[in-house]
Amino acid sequence: MKDEPSERLDPRAKVVWRISAALNMIPLLAAGGFGSFALLRWADVSALLGILPALAVLALAVFSVFVAPGVRWRRWRYEIRPDEVDLQRGVWWVSRTLVPLARIQHVDTRQGPLQRRYGLSTVVFHTAAGANQIPELSTPIASEARDRIADLTREQDEL
Amino acid sequence: MSSEVGPLLRLHPAAMVIGALGTIRRSVSATILPGVVFLFSQGLSPWTIALVLAGLVVVAVLAALWGFLSWRATSYGVVGGSFRLRQGVFQKSERTIPLEHVQSVDTVQGIVQRAFGVYEVRVETAGGGASEPDASLPALSRAATEDLRRGIEGARREPVGAEEAPGPEVLRRLSTRDLLVAGATSGQIGVALSLLAVGSQVFDEFFSEAFFRNLVDSLAPNALIVALILIPTVALFAWLLAIAGTVLAHYGFTLSREGDFLYIKRGLLERREATIPLSRIQAVRVSEGFLRQPFGLASLRVESAGYGEDAGVSAAMVPLLPFDEVQALLREAAPEFAVSPTLKPLPRRALGRYVFRACVPALVLAAAGALVSFLVFDVAFGLLAVGLLPAFALYGWLRFRDAGWALEGDRLVVRSRALARVTAVAPRRRLQSRSVFQSPFQRRLRLATFGTEVASGAGGSSLSVTDLGSDDARYLAGALSARFDAQRNLRGSLP
Repeated sequence: MKDEPSERLDPRAKVVWRISAALNMIPLLAAGGFGSFALLRWADVSALLGILPALAVLALAVFSVFVAPGVRWRRWRYEIRPDEVDLQRGVWWVSRTLVPLARIQHVDTRQGPLQRRYGLSTVVFHTAAGANQIPELSTPIASEARDRIADLTREQDEL
Repeated sequence: MSSEVGPLLRLHPAAMVIGALGTIRRSVSATILPGVVFLFSQGLSPWTIALVLAGLVVVAVLAALWGFLSWRATSYGVVGGSFRLRQGVFQKSERTIPLEHVQSVDTVQGIVQRAFGVYEVRVETAGGGASEPDASLPALSRAATEDLRRGIEGARREPVGAEEAPGPEVLRRLSTRDLLVAGATSGQIGVALSLLAVGSQVFDEFFSEAFFRNLVDSLAPNALIVALILIPTVALFAWLLAIAGTVLAHYGFTLSREGDFLYIKRGLLERREATIPLSRIQAVRVSEGFLRQPFGLASLRVESAGYGEDAGVSAAMVPLLPFDEVQALLREAAPEFAVSPTLKPLPRRALGRYVFRACVPALVLAAAGALVSFLVFDVAFGLLAVGLLPAFALYGWLRFRDAGWALEGDRLVVRSRALARVTAVAPRRRLQSRSVFQSPFQRRLRLATFGTEVASGAGGSSLSVTDLGSDDARYLAGALSARFDAQRNLRGSLP
């Protein structure tokens, strides 16, 4: 196994991840805030205990909006080699996945509304056991990666 | 009945009755509870009884008519290299499944089918999913079933040669005694218990709450004794239910092989015949259940690609056999999977992680229990759960001891324990992806988790080893690559 895959994701990935993490945190923040409010208002608990839910949720939000995207981006690497696709990712758990091109059944690119705004796309490739993806590549690079995987898969089939 | 060309065939006329009965059952089961409640609330006047009977007659007549119409609208056949099924009374549909996509032709014989001596035939597809659903024919005669089988499998077997196959060779039968043992050790008491729970809820509906209150009031002083009697009784009943379920499902179990196909026949009330093409088996798992391992018993399962919702038919290859005989059976049934190399154990430094992981539930239980009991009784009774720690630690040690892996030629062998000790075998060319996971704690100990996926049913199923040395994990990920394969082949082809 080689040391590390060579390619990185597009740097704009961090922005997209921050925004989507912030959007995801809104309901949780509301829940935490309401929890604290309820504790302080209706339950007879000390102020310190009462603000605990709100604080916990706030800490989680800060982590997932400001810290995690940077770490995730630095960790995320991929490489499309002639025989395998090599992926490395993970904030806490680092995972390294190798997918033989000969097992890939089809490959497509996807783009969510937020990604479209920043000109990013996700490459998704499917094997008989499920899908893997390379997220947040700039759209031209994603298309190139998709076509390259498709071509290499065809070559592998002919071997 | 020619299978190559010609018109499509009709189902056996029993399909009308089976279809009608199905319709009646569906409509009755949808209305039975509200219907009964309505009847009892109105009182049983002759007028309401007549009304209900009239309703039943109308339903029966409509169901019979519908059964006839759908029988007339349904036809099937093997035409020009594909299986075709035409059906639908109002909304006509025609399904075409290319023969090379057919995984197997399975039969199920329910009680109604047995009464008519016909079979429900299911044409299962490989890698189907939503785009290519399986086809089910509710009633075919024995001869028609055989014809269809020959039409479909004959086409697929063509390259083997036209001469007559030697006929299926029986590899394993299970006696009723085997099945009683299998049921008794299946550990499915939990399933049976939940069935009992559902049953008791239904029971509740029919008895008034007052009845139960009286019962509880009269029994309350002896609550302890009642509990002592009731709990073992329920457990025993559940256990018997699990045994009965196993015997019913697997009665007359026969595993046989003909050419590249395995056939499994089983069932007492509902006879099932399943086919597993050897070429579709992705992995084999030998499972030594918690209750079975002490007796040297195991069960055998296969992961097969393209088996959808009806996985139960094929997934259990042999429900019970002595562990010692597994390799001999596999050599005959699926030689590619017959390996039992010495497994490489995990490094000692992984033991601590296994024990810790096993103890977490006990610690959480103790903490939560302590908090609750402190709030309720002012005494931290919950801390007593700490007493469970040695048992959990022992479980962790067991899991550590049983985990291991080996690369035997082209095959990956992986063993782990949840409750049962499971040994999985998969050839390299079946692995869909390989991953190495590492948490910061694992990195500090130079450990990693290796996982790989094989296709199974509509999705995947994983084979993994937790906490092996990180070098070993990287070695496995590399050694199982296609490139490794190519290099070996190159070497192999040199003089």
